[in-house]
Amino acid sequence: MSTHPMEHRWSRRQFMRRAGGAAIALPTMSAILAACSKPGTTSSGEGGSGSAGGERVLARPDNPVKLPLNGEPISADTPIEAGATLQVYNWDAYMYKKVLKDFEDKFGVTIEWTTFNNMEEGIQKLVSGQVKPDVFFPTTDYISRLVEKDLLQPLQQTLIPNMEGNVWPSFSNPGPWYDLGWQYTVPYTIYTTGVAYRRDRVEDSVAETQGYDLLWNADYSGEISYYDSYRDAIGMALIRNGNMDPNTGDDAAITAAKDAIMQLLNDFDGRLTINGAFAKIPEGEFTVAQSWSGDIVGAKWYLPKGTSEDVLGYWYPDDKVGLIGNDCIVIPTTAQSPRLAHEFLNFFLDETYGYENFASWNGYQPPFTSIDPDTLISDKVIPPALDRAVVTEEMFTKGLIQGELSADVDQKWLDAWNEIQAGGSA
Amino acid sequence: MSDVVLSPPSTAARSGSWLTRWRRNPWRKPRILQAVTIGYLLWSLIPVVIAVIFSFNAGRSRSTWQGFSMRWWTGDPFDSLFHDPSLRTAMLQTFRLSFITVLIAVPLGTAFAIGIDRWHGRPARPANFVMLLSFVVPEMILGVSLFLLFTNMLKNLVPLGTPAQILGLATFQMSYPVIIVRARLLSIGPEYEEAAMDLGAKPGQSIRRVLLPLLSPAILASVAVTFADSVDDFVIVRYLSGPANSEPLSVKIYSAARSSPTPAVNAAATVMLLATMAMIIVGYLIYRRYAKGTGDAGDMASFTQL
Amino acid sequence: MEATTTPTTEPERKAKHTKSDTASGAWYPRWYWPSFTGPGTIWMIVLFLLPFYTVLAVAFGTVDPLFRTPLPVYQPWWWSFATFQTTLQKFYVAPAVYQPPLIRTFEYVFVASLICLVIGYAVAYYAARYAGKYRIPILVLLVAPFWISYLMRIYAWQSLLQPDGYVNDILMALGLVSQPVLWLSGKGITVVLGLVYGYIPFMILPLFGSLDRINQNLLEAGRDLGASPSQTFRRVTLPLSKPAILAGLVIVSLPMLGDYYTNNLLGSTRTSMYGNLIDGSVGQAGQGPEAGSLVLILMVIVIVPMLYYLRETRRAAENA
Repeated sequence: MSTHPMEHRWSRRQFMRRAGGAAIALPTMSAILAACSKPGTTSSGEGGSGSAGGERVLARPDNPVKLPLNGEPISADTPIEAGATLQVYNWDAYMYKKVLKDFEDKFGVTIEWTTFNNMEEGIQKLVSGQVKPDVFFPTTDYISRLVEKDLLQPLQQTLIPNMEGNVWPSFSNPGPWYDLGWQYTVPYTIYTTGVAYRRDRVEDSVAETQGYDLLWNADYSGEISYYDSYRDAIGMALIRNGNMDPNTGDDAAITAAKDAIMQLLNDFDGRLTINGAFAKIPEGEFTVAQSWSGDIVGAKWYLPKGTSEDVLGYWYPDDKVGLIGNDCIVIPTTAQSPRLAHEFLNFFLDETYGYENFASWNGYQPPFTSIDPDTLISDKVIPPALDRAVVTEEMFTKGLIQGELSADVDQKWLDAWNEIQAGGSA
Repeated sequence: MSDVVLSPPSTAARSGSWLTRWRRNPWRKPRILQAVTIGYLLWSLIPVVIAVIFSFNAGRSRSTWQGFSMRWWTGDPFDSLFHDPSLRTAMLQTFRLSFITVLIAVPLGTAFAIGIDRWHGRPARPANFVMLLSFVVPEMILGVSLFLLFTNMLKNLVPLGTPAQILGLATFQMSYPVIIVRARLLSIGPEYEEAAMDLGAKPGQSIRRVLLPLLSPAILASVAVTFADSVDDFVIVRYLSGPANSEPLSVKIYSAARSSPTPAVNAAATVMLLATMAMIIVGYLIYRRYAKGTGDAGDMASFTQL
Repeated sequence: MEATTTPTTEPERKAKHTKSDTASGAWYPRWYWPSFTGPGTIWMIVLFLLPFYTVLAVAFGTVDPLFRTPLPVYQPWWWSFATFQTTLQKFYVAPAVYQPPLIRTFEYVFVASLICLVIGYAVAYYAARYAGKYRIPILVLLVAPFWISYLMRIYAWQSLLQPDGYVNDILMALGLVSQPVLWLSGKGITVVLGLVYGYIPFMILPLFGSLDRINQNLLEAGRDLGASPSQTFRRVTLPLSKPAILAGLVIVSLPMLGDYYTNNLLGSTRTSMYGNLIDGSVGQAGQGPEAGSLVLILMVIVIVPMLYYLRETRRAAENA
């Protein structure tokens, strides 16, 4: 429709319409522009501090790392949250329910314990926000990544006096290699990874000569258990094959380890479990099992009535060059009751409660100065046959510790693990 | 056609050995089938009975009987059903999920079925297709898809845990009421409502006072089926579970079975079993009381329509 | 908004018609029936169709560099098919690590469905034709497994199959084996029988419904014409129950294709199925796109039987 040349000026209605159109178009345009940029190329916020996507510093025992502080710890005079429900996120069967009950009674709170089946699952659920715990129990190789993603909050160290009062000094001053100055973590347990076996079916001398090969022994076909956790599984296979670096990225080494595990599962009828050592060895379902030292010590609580604890055996290399490590307790940033969480950490480092957790249930030794490793057997905490399960501070200097893997090395390990879980042609 | 005709059965039955006669007798008792059926029923139900009995086992084992004890029900101060809060929470969660799912899925599904049955427009067919698709799709696919949805697209809207589980369950279960109610609608036909409207009822009234009562056996059957299926459900609720208090009993049984179960798990499963049976019996009695005369074996047919 | 007086005469009624009406001429407003289906449809779009789109977005997306959680890409023009191709190649390009689970899955599902059919048909046939006065109790017992949690039933089985469980006790007492058999250490037969145990009720009920509806007169006519029982079965009963057989097979085999928990509880990695591949990669670091790809591939595998089943049920509904 034609307009008179005198009517070029827009009417108010036309102006509003066009302005309104522009007002709608602008955000849409920006949305389109955002959509046009390939996701992941613009810095989407992760990799916050410093090296965004660049080279990560991987913490190692000979390369300790001081993590950046991503905030302030809670104030020391924060009141304890009364009547709260403390969300604890931990492995199954890893804490003594009686000690938890004592904590609940002492502070007048309730504890809710969410479990994960292995560390990878635990981390994924925490990172995705599926669980929002107050307290979490990771392994040491995830700490710096969790800090980088702002998932952990720094600790108010004055609220955890037991750390310097009862724990090995190396954990607080200068602090552990993965967290110098113990800014985010306190240690929970220390443990080695070896081979548990039934002493009524395997002679001690046989165990001594075979070592890791106990798990690759046709005599025990169908009664072999191996950990359903990729770091531990591939780690032990690497060492058994002679590669003494449990953080290696070497393709040949990883492939050889993967082949060994497939052989264990297919040719020797092995099973991947997480409870093979502490629950199934005492029940007799398995004869040999990959085992953490604490698992086999705690196994005595699962023995059926009438079976002596002498049937439990544990092998670890005599020269102490084997897998060793520790677990930590941390407080995630999602904690609803951080003050109570600090009390929880302090509680489990207490020489009475922490000791009871270990001696009466867990089997996992805490790094307490109040515990003398030499007396653990005479005090009947650890059965005499499990003397190799005792962990001392010197063992950490010789042992092989697993740390964080870089993204591509981790992918290689996961690809190998994927292949193992796909089963192969039986 | 002619090859079917043989000698009349009566003479055939009298000739030959008793085995041949038995085989040829059309009125014989089906011993083999009977044996198979009884064998199947035993095989189907005895393991569950044994699992219930083992909840009273004195030891930790669920496969070797070690004597009778109430240890796992009330005795053990930390691990028994009575004292262990995690098992009780799991049972409560199962009930909570199932009840709320029924409250969502049955009304929406029933309304959907009524609408689809009467609506002759073009968009009706794809809507119906999608609903039926949700019935046949393997639960694994739906479970993983919903998990990816709630952890990515709807990440901050719907947290994993009870809200996500309810949404997922209702989605998966909605097709059951649709199918059951639709089957019943097919046998009812539109005559009753039209008669009501001829007599002066408004459309809303005719639905409320004529159609729904006629549908009540199907609706009741939907409630029962949806409830039972939600109690059983495992795949979807496991993927969509969050912290420990959102894990229903099916997930707890699965985790326990993969690690180290105690007979307390048997005890919890027994309680669920009794509760579900009680609900079924109550539902059946309500049906008997209120649907006298309207349904024949209609409810049975509803189940077999699937 | 709707008129409140019902038109009384035929022409008046027809004149009042808005476009939505039933065959007999009663009237409803146009929006009436769609409003019934509306809520359900919207629900399905948001919670059934949208998740599938998310699967596509994750499968063709990337991963976050730090924890390698999946980063979905919602715009189709940025989709990357590299992971999908790699995953697909794991099925047929050497070393095809995913091929054994896939073949095993088909084997197990095929055998288990067949066993379900044979046993299920026998039981349904007996219950429908010969049960007589025990009909209702038998039907109740047949339906009972639906009310018992699947997990509880498989858990009960797992208890019986332990090395010291009753199955081994009975076998040893009968002298059939000399040592306890390790049923749970990755035996295909255990997994197959577990699948049968779990899913056979889904086969029995449709078969029962169909066999129950077969007109008794047809069978008696066959016998009157001189057919033996087996001939009656072959030529009358079997063809009439064919739709139910096919429906039952589909209902039983579809969930089996996605099953992973039966293998996790009764088998080991040696008997892993396709469902285990998916379950193992969902939630694992860096495996998000692969999990999405595996789900897509499974959807492609099941789409044909699913559509077939839908077509058959629609046809049956129209014929009813």
